[in-house]
Amino acid sequence: MTAAGWSGRRLRRRLARAALGALGGSVLAFLVVPVLSVIPMSFSSSMVFELVPTAPGLTQYRRFFASPEWMLALGRSVQVALGTTVVATALGTLAALGLVRVQSRWRSVLEAALISSRIVPSIVFAVAAYFVFSQVGLVGTVAGLVLAHSVLAFPFVVVLVSSALYGFDRSLEEASRSLGAGSIRTFFRITFPQIRLAVFGGALFAFNVSFDEVVVTLFISGVHSKTLPVKVWDAILYEITPILPAISTIIIVASILLLTPLLLYRRRS
Amino acid sequence: MLRHRRLDWSTVVLLAPPLVFLLVIFAFPLGRIVWGSFFAPDFTLGAYERMVTVPVYGRVFWITLKISGLTTLLCVLLGYPAAYFLASVSARTRQALLLCVVIPFFLSVLVRNYVWMVLLQRTGLVNRALLDWGVIGQPLDLMYNEFGVLIAMVNMLLPYMIFPVLSALLAIPPELAPASASLGAGAARTFWRITLPLSLPGVAAGGLLVFIVALGFFITPALLGGPKQMMISNLIEFSVRQVLNWPFAFALANTLLVGTLVLYFVYVRALEGRLPKAGLP
Repeated sequence: MTAAGWSGRRLRRRLARAALGALGGSVLAFLVVPVLSVIPMSFSSSMVFELVPTAPGLTQYRRFFASPEWMLALGRSVQVALGTTVVATALGTLAALGLVRVQSRWRSVLEAALISSRIVPSIVFAVAAYFVFSQVGLVGTVAGLVLAHSVLAFPFVVVLVSSALYGFDRSLEEASRSLGAGSIRTFFRITFPQIRLAVFGGALFAFNVSFDEVVVTLFISGVHSKTLPVKVWDAILYEITPILPAISTIIIVASILLLTPLLLYRRRS
Repeated sequence: MLRHRRLDWSTVVLLAPPLVFLLVIFAFPLGRIVWGSFFAPDFTLGAYERMVTVPVYGRVFWITLKISGLTTLLCVLLGYPAAYFLASVSARTRQALLLCVVIPFFLSVLVRNYVWMVLLQRTGLVNRALLDWGVIGQPLDLMYNEFGVLIAMVNMLLPYMIFPVLSALLAIPPELAPASASLGAGAARTFWRITLPLSLPGVAAGGLLVFIVALGFFITPALLGGPKQMMISNLIEFSVRQVLNWPFAFALANTLLVGTLVLYFVYVRALEGRLPKAGLP
């Protein structure tokens, strides 16, 4: 091969790599930049949207925290998300503990059943829940929202906790039991310490799923128990308010704070 | 390790509460709408008949398939190079760059749609930037049309494409590329003959997943689309909340449900155990 041919080939390779990097980098930027662009907008004190606020300030945040209506929605969201966290984490952990004990081919069927609520389109579950809940007086109640959100959140707990359980040496449980500890004692002294982090991660996920849920909540929250996302939805459709970037930023930051421990945990394992 | 051959009591005790919960709060309501789509209260196919005979509704189905199909195509075209790029960098860099894919995936879908509205509206940032730079003389209509819906849907569904393609690319034995080169193949030839064919299962998995999730999209067409971008989910909402036609909404919901489940079954069967589950990366 001649020197010129060799360097030509190298140049072509470099160009191809640069093109790939530029294209791949742009797609990654496309994923992350738009959503983050709302953060600078939230510091605007004017009535129109600005990428770089001319007079940056916390006006919109103050308006949000001073508004009884928005505070009511925020309170409702936190209430529902906490309830969902408890219900989904408890049920999801039980389901995961049961799931890993099933050894036959039934396990994959069971697993599919347990995570099926993530596959069904939310609008379908929304209409179904709305119809049934309205007959038993659950529409517009915190209990109704917690139950519906738990259906959507609990697969995350099942997946996280069951994968922690698969990686855990079951012979420790047998050893504990053969030494005379009962099932309950074995669970709290041996099993739970091993899956603690996964349960915690599942709880964070459950909170996040509930806190962000819109479609099902739109149907079953009723007029008087709107959560923060439903109130945001109404505001997007019916009024133009510069408060929305600030609220969006709060929602984004809340999710990132919830997810950070989870990402650190995933990296460790 | 001791194997439990039969179901023992403790397993039943553990599984009973979550299964009863799912049965009552999830399965029963779904069963109720399947039932309600056929019995109102006597057996009738009226709702389905209306769904297939009235041309407007046929158009909604067609739009749903078209938007989902275009979204899938765009996700392949953009997601493949992104995954290829992620597979080509060092493991450390990849870990860091993957945050760009993972984090938005778990952020509020509503907020992300809202941000697209802010960016794409006539007085939005994109239009203003283009006007300021003198690229355009008039603001462009970037939303309340198919463009707006597609850009936001692709933005939200790309992770479903990138993850499976990336795992397929990373599973290709690294010694294949030098082997191919030593036999005289150039980089392009190696890509077309080795890398692409071996990563196609990932593309198929990602594509199917994107398509399945896209079919049920509700928020994006509602916020960024116009009347011509009404998808099945939006028609279901309209039937329930505006016109209160429950049997018709049930029939639509049931159709969407069955379509989704059939495609998901295909997905699981075709790619059994090789790739992550829907919505749970």
